[in-house]
Amino acid sequence: MNAIAFNGVTKKYGDVVAVDGLSLDIPAGSTVALLGPNGAGKSTSINMLLGLLRPTSGEITVFGSSPDEAVARGDIGAMLQEGALIPELTVRESVDFIRRLYPNPLPLDDVLRMADLTDLAGRRADKLSGGQTQRVRFALAVAGGPKLLLLDEPTAAMDVESRRAFWGNMRSYAAQGRTIVFATHYLEEADENSDRVVVVAKGRVVADGTAAEIKAGVAGHAVSFRLGDQPAAGLDALAGVSAVEIQAGRVTVKTSDPDATVEALYRKTTLDIRDLQIHGADLEDAFLALTKES
Amino acid sequence: MRHYLKIELLRMLRNKRYIIFVIAFPVLFYLLYSNLWGSEVDQATGVKGSVTLMVSMGAYGALAASIMSSAVPWSQERQSGWLRQLQITPLPGWTIIVTKLIASMVLVLPALLLVALAAVLTQHVSLPAGEWVGLIAALWIGTIPFIALGLAIGSVLPPDTAQPVAVIGMFGLALLGGLWFPESLMPETMKSIAHVLPSYDYANIGWQIVAGETPQASMILGVAAWAVGLGALALLAYRRATVRA
Repeated sequence: MNAIAFNGVTKKYGDVVAVDGLSLDIPAGSTVALLGPNGAGKSTSINMLLGLLRPTSGEITVFGSSPDEAVARGDIGAMLQEGALIPELTVRESVDFIRRLYPNPLPLDDVLRMADLTDLAGRRADKLSGGQTQRVRFALAVAGGPKLLLLDEPTAAMDVESRRAFWGNMRSYAAQGRTIVFATHYLEEADENSDRVVVVAKGRVVADGTAAEIKAGVAGHAVSFRLGDQPAAGLDALAGVSAVEIQAGRVTVKTSDPDATVEALYRKTTLDIRDLQIHGADLEDAFLALTKES
Repeated sequence: MRHYLKIELLRMLRNKRYIIFVIAFPVLFYLLYSNLWGSEVDQATGVKGSVTLMVSMGAYGALAASIMSSAVPWSQERQSGWLRQLQITPLPGWTIIVTKLIASMVLVLPALLLVALAAVLTQHVSLPAGEWVGLIAALWIGTIPFIALGLAIGSVLPPDTAQPVAVIGMFGLALLGGLWFPESLMPETMKSIAHVLPSYDYANIGWQIVAGETPQASMILGVAAWAVGLGALALLAYRRATVRA
């Protein structure tokens, strides 16, 4: 069963198209990263999933019903980009309040433990640091035990250590069979914490797959060697090659499949190949390539 | 929803500024004024100053509590994202504004009751039981238009403008309603403004009760009409503030 289905969803603000004919299915139980630069339509998509925004056209279903119905059933928990707490309430009071609004909440102590808040439970929200506030907001998102957890750039205000702890907590929540969708523009986060990456740019899906597939799908690898004064003709016809550059007697061929390209270099040419190097693409290159094209 | 109400009350009672403004102020001013003019007797009604002032300061406290417990907190919640946090839970949308109304009504009571208690303890004010019940009930139920006004302000304005508007609205209503000095001392134009305001009718209902009279129907209608008008405005503003575009 699909946790989420976007069917040709468009969202316009006046003339500005934030989401442009988005179609996307996310099966229950998966952890999906929405990766894209600022303004790609990630937050708009998440807000539409929550019923906070209405699509201009197209349809969104969450566990087979409208977002409003899914929210009313308590199926969704979310950590939005902005969200302050009530300053006069303690961590425990805020978490318990939100928890009790859901039909099948998690036990309070479990929620506090999951967000590393046990020691801060009695502290008032106006006495919390930025990172601690983020942890409370994570606790509010999971308190109701939602089947679908939406996180919109959850680590934006966190330092490196809090980030690591945060993703650890998120993964243990995912391990309970929950569906998680998080938006990020950090490639590393998408790579390390999801089993599927959906790259969005200008409101469209530009790539969709595992992090490895996305890296492989882009001609981001390169093979280079010393050519000397040998002729370069025919290199661009080799398997996988998308571009050839020559600089100071050294040739660099961009390829989507370095293994095939190297094999072809040795078998199909008679070139004397010296000082061969293979450069791997990282997700960063893939991401830049993908979001630039669109 | 009961838990939501509890949370709302808890947070306001922990807010020191709120406590000082709406609970300590009216009680302190009552103590001060009743010491100065408490023993003067009104020629027309025979009501002692200590009793008239109890109604004035009780009404002022209730008015202040109504507006201050609604406008700014609600505006802050909208802007800070707490409203969104609630909107993505199974809590039905209408419970938010209903809970806020009930919470404000509960928060009106401490000011009202403490002023009355101060009157009884320091000025030995005594009224027939029926008048006590009528007075407290009238001043309590009569806060509905002011709470509605506060919620409307909170729905329409961001916190940094909601704060001064709420304070000006509160003092304006209190002054023109004759809570700080009698309306008979006002210049003619001010008087005619005062007469259409809900705070004027609101306080007069209280004064008539302690004078042993039945409040005039026109006064009750005045407060009720304002309650309906401002209530409708608050609902409209609330719907606009929570609309899903």
